[in-house]
Amino acid sequence: MVVATATIPMMAGQLIGASLLGVLAFFFLLPRPRGQSLALGTFFGLASLAMLFTLLFLQFGQPSSDDVAALLFWLFACVALIFAGVLVAESNPARGAMAFAFVILSTCGLFLVLAAPFLMAATIIVYAGAIIVTFLFVLMLSHVEGPSDENDRSREPLLGALAGIAFAGLILFALLSPGSGLAASQNGVLPAKVSHHPLFIPPITPSERQLLLEVAAELQKAEQMDRDQLLASDYTQATRDQLERLLGGIPDAAATDALTWQQRLALTRADPRVRAIIARVDRVRDLTRETFDQVDVALIDEMPPNLDRARSALKSLRQEILILAGVGELPSRNVGTIGFRLFSEHLMAVELAGVLLLVATIGAVLIAGRRGRIA
Amino acid sequence: MFEPSTLPLIVLGLPLLASLASSLCGIWPGCRQYAHLPTIVAFAVAAVFASILFGMMITGNHSQLLFHSVAWTWFHAGNVEVAFQLTADPLAAVMLATVTFVATWIALFSVGYMHDDPGYARYFALIGLFVFSMCLLVLANDLLLMVAGWEGVGLCSYLLVGYYYAKPTAAAAARKAFLVTRLGDAGMILGLFMLWQISGFQTSFDGIFRHLAESPPEPRTITLACLLLFCGAVGKSAQFPLYVWLPDAMEGPTPVSALIHAATMVTAGVYLLARMMPVFVLSPDALMLVAVIGGLTAIVAAFIAIGQHDLKRVLAYSTVSQLGYMFMGLGTAAMIAPNLAVIAAIFHLVTHAFFKALLFLAAGSVMHAMGNVIDLRKFSGLRVLMPVTHLTFLCGAAALAGIPLLSGFWSKDQILDVLYQASLCDQPGAGTFRFVFVCSLITAAMTAFYTFRAYFLTFWGPLKTPPEAGDHPHESPRVMLWPLIVLAIGAVFLGIVVEPFTHYFSDFLSGTPWLQEANRIAGFNEFDRPHLDGLLAITGSILALAGVALAWYAYRDGTETVGSSLRSCQRLSQDKLYIDELYASAIVKPIEAIAMISRFFDGVIHGIARLISLVPRLLAEVLKPLQTGLVQFYALGMILGMAVFLTVVIVRTSG
Amino acid sequence: MISLGHFLTIGGMLFAIGLIGFTTRRNLITMFLCAEMMLQGVVLNLLAFSRYHADLSGQVFALFIVTVAACEAGIALALFVSVYRRSRSLDISVWQALREPGLLPIVDREPLPPPIQDSRDPHLPVAGRKPQRQEELSRV
Repeated sequence: MVVATATIPMMAGQLIGASLLGVLAFFFLLPRPRGQSLALGTFFGLASLAMLFTLLFLQFGQPSSDDVAALLFWLFACVALIFAGVLVAESNPARGAMAFAFVILSTCGLFLVLAAPFLMAATIIVYAGAIIVTFLFVLMLSHVEGPSDENDRSREPLLGALAGIAFAGLILFALLSPGSGLAASQNGVLPAKVSHHPLFIPPITPSERQLLLEVAAELQKAEQMDRDQLLASDYTQATRDQLERLLGGIPDAAATDALTWQQRLALTRADPRVRAIIARVDRVRDLTRETFDQVDVALIDEMPPNLDRARSALKSLRQEILILAGVGELPSRNVGTIGFRLFSEHLMAVELAGVLLLVATIGAVLIAGRRGRIA
Repeated sequence: MFEPSTLPLIVLGLPLLASLASSLCGIWPGCRQYAHLPTIVAFAVAAVFASILFGMMITGNHSQLLFHSVAWTWFHAGNVEVAFQLTADPLAAVMLATVTFVATWIALFSVGYMHDDPGYARYFALIGLFVFSMCLLVLANDLLLMVAGWEGVGLCSYLLVGYYYAKPTAAAAARKAFLVTRLGDAGMILGLFMLWQISGFQTSFDGIFRHLAESPPEPRTITLACLLLFCGAVGKSAQFPLYVWLPDAMEGPTPVSALIHAATMVTAGVYLLARMMPVFVLSPDALMLVAVIGGLTAIVAAFIAIGQHDLKRVLAYSTVSQLGYMFMGLGTAAMIAPNLAVIAAIFHLVTHAFFKALLFLAAGSVMHAMGNVIDLRKFSGLRVLMPVTHLTFLCGAAALAGIPLLSGFWSKDQILDVLYQASLCDQPGAGTFRFVFVCSLITAAMTAFYTFRAYFLTFWGPLKTPPEAGDHPHESPRVMLWPLIVLAIGAVFLGIVVEPFTHYFSDFLSGTPWLQEANRIAGFNEFDRPHLDGLLAITGSILALAGVALAWYAYRDGTETVGSSLRSCQRLSQDKLYIDELYASAIVKPIEAIAMISRFFDGVIHGIARLISLVPRLLAEVLKPLQTGLVQFYALGMILGMAVFLTVVIVRTSG
Repeated sequence: MISLGHFLTIGGMLFAIGLIGFTTRRNLITMFLCAEMMLQGVVLNLLAFSRYHADLSGQVFALFIVTVAACEAGIALALFVSVYRRSRSLDISVWQALREPGLLPIVDREPLPPPIQDSRDPHLPVAGRKPQRQEELSRV
């Protein structure tokens, strides 16, 4: 993996280029009686998108081996952005609503990639189902024939495009500048200067997770061995060394400028979850020592050698290591956990949201229902 | 309750309560015609108490009744503490008795005179307030308290002169009275400050007198202080050059003229000087100036009075002239014993109060009968029509002229006497008093002349009434006649009873403690009584009778015919020696010019302020197009602003 | 690996495009759809953070956002219906009454293109005789 962090002037130049193209794209796409040029707008839009994605590519590097996730991400992202452009540029509001439906579908795809299946389903049902249908009903109510003011004119196309793209440019600049800590953090390498709050310090880098999983696999293999193999193979020493290295604080020799687990975690010490992770790491370290002592005791000191006990000790260690490796992953029971969290930690908010929905319903009925009492 | 030291407080408080009660009568519907009752009752009771006070002082051995209440501190500012102190010594008792007695009869006269006036209650409330202020002035033992009373009488004078406020001339006259006396008051306040400073920062009379007696300051300082105080007297007592308000003040109702501008308020200046005599004796130069101004005023006023054809104006100028006499008398304290000077002046003050009030009330009676016409040329021969008025007027005129054996004769004689004595002294400055003495003699003759000119023009000759008098002009009602009679009795008999042979008055007045102190300061340790110089008495009588004779000769047929040779003199006298016009062009016009310039300047400032107020308006015009009413425009503005803000934040943090 | 930054970028782009649409388009419905798209961008951000910090709170919050968006859509549509009743148009530029007094209203200058008359539909010429039609005078 090659990380090419672009220097700020180059990045800024690319960003400004992408922004200008975006402005021109929207300027030509927005509906106007004269001067609207779909072809030019599309061309500029595609050019801007290309430049944006090149920038992303250069900053964040080539997407890694997680190919399916990468493919899905790029597909859904492109579709979302394209149809967002269509929604803004389309003069017929019904067609715009359809484009909005596609935007929703794409973003829901992105939600799925982000391990939020419940939200994906909820969004599709609420937005693409209820809201768009209601919009279409209102559009039917106010159907206009032919060109009309509201559909075929834009208020301040240049300034509006400028405002939006400037906004986007600023956000991107904030994200992409090296000081944000985002570009380099995905490799577990933290920038030397971390005085600006980095957006994300992973508790476990992917390489560490990989190592832990390898150790867990080793342990699983060891559970199948018998006594002589256990004593004979030097897995214990290797495992022990590896675990010591990981958990004990020796930095990964392969990575330069790396911080140990402790140092990394110490930076985000205030986070209670990080503290929980640190506690778990300590417990795993202690458990490792205990387990191997127990194995030794069970296999060597006891007569007859207690293989079961050795195996169960190894199994418990493996489970703890798996749990530690899984830290930083969302729970797989998405809906259940969301429900649990809603009704335990956020019960008040749920009740208030319910009241809000009730009030909104009543309000909508009252507002829309006034017939003939308007002067 | 009736212990001696509360008597001054009662005398002071009754007129104030009466004033409040009268004003309430005015507000309460249906009570208006009874508004005179509280006032007359209060004045009468106050007069009774004043005479009780008088009696207590004569019989008992209270030479000074002090009402000092520490609990009633008027104000307290740093080291200056002014307590509400009243003192009643013989001088104050005399003044108090005069004021309350005369005020009672004048109030009674007003019942008839102001009978149909819509502002009946206002009138009585105002004269109640006036008498209260005058009593406060008289009774005060503290210079600041006296000045409070001084201002109070000035205010009441303004309100009463401007009683017919809808009449432009009356309103102008009220303003003139107030402003001209204000000029004098300004000087008096400065004198007060100076006196406060040089007498060890205290304002009570006892304190000032004691301090100045012990450690007299250098002559120039005390002279300046005395002259400044005298300014106030010049303003209030209508001396030259600030006398111009008094003739105009005749626009007020006639009883007001009688009360305020004859008997009481204008004598406040005389009272001030008499009270401050321990201070004035320290500066003979100031007293000489007092006498000179008094003399000048007397002659000028008498000259002007000869040519006036308005009866009240004649009497007004006569008042000015007689006040000049009083100041002449006071001024002789530079040369002779202060108690003699003060006795002469105060005696003349008392008798003048009686006969001048009488004359004014008689003029009021004439006006009442003639339908508010008081121009001498418009009526004559009223002696058959109004016999009581005629006789009482004659008594008053005779007293004023100085006909022998009447009270005015004795008091004027005393003044001539002290002037003569002062001019006989062999000190430097006696020459001045000789000049003043000659002035007083000439004035005596002129006084008799103009007084009887007015008398003959009014009451002698064929009966002629103006058309405003209606079909049957008649004598005034009895409520108006009784005060005339009482005052006439006083005018005739008061003088001979109290002074020339019995010396009741002078003995009583000489008992004033501070007057004795003044005598000691001036170096006169024994107390002379005023003595009667026969030669002077005869000279005075001859002058008076000569004046009367001349007037009889010229005016006995009730009309005025002026010979061609005298016409220019008559014009000069009639036009008041053009002094008012001089003031108008020399003082009033420049001030009006300054006022116009200030107004222009004010307009410039106003313009600048308006110009400055245009700036926000311009700014608003620049920013107004932003408020288009379009929602998207507003949203766009918000976003652009947020973008700028974000740019700043991001550039800062990643720069 | 798709990192957090990728998702944040996409969320930001969706938000920006929604912003452009909201400030430019004049049809009320389109405006509202763009606003909803902005919300989608925000939800995407939240979910990305939730995934990369392994914290389920992001998804919970996103669920509340969906709830509120639903309420908002209901009320917004009721308001649009009322507004349509007043002005017979879904154009937001009709409502300029809150401008400063003294400013002229903003009107559109450019003329709209004429509606497309599809005149290429085939039509048959009239065949046969025109039938005699008794004009029935209707008396009321």
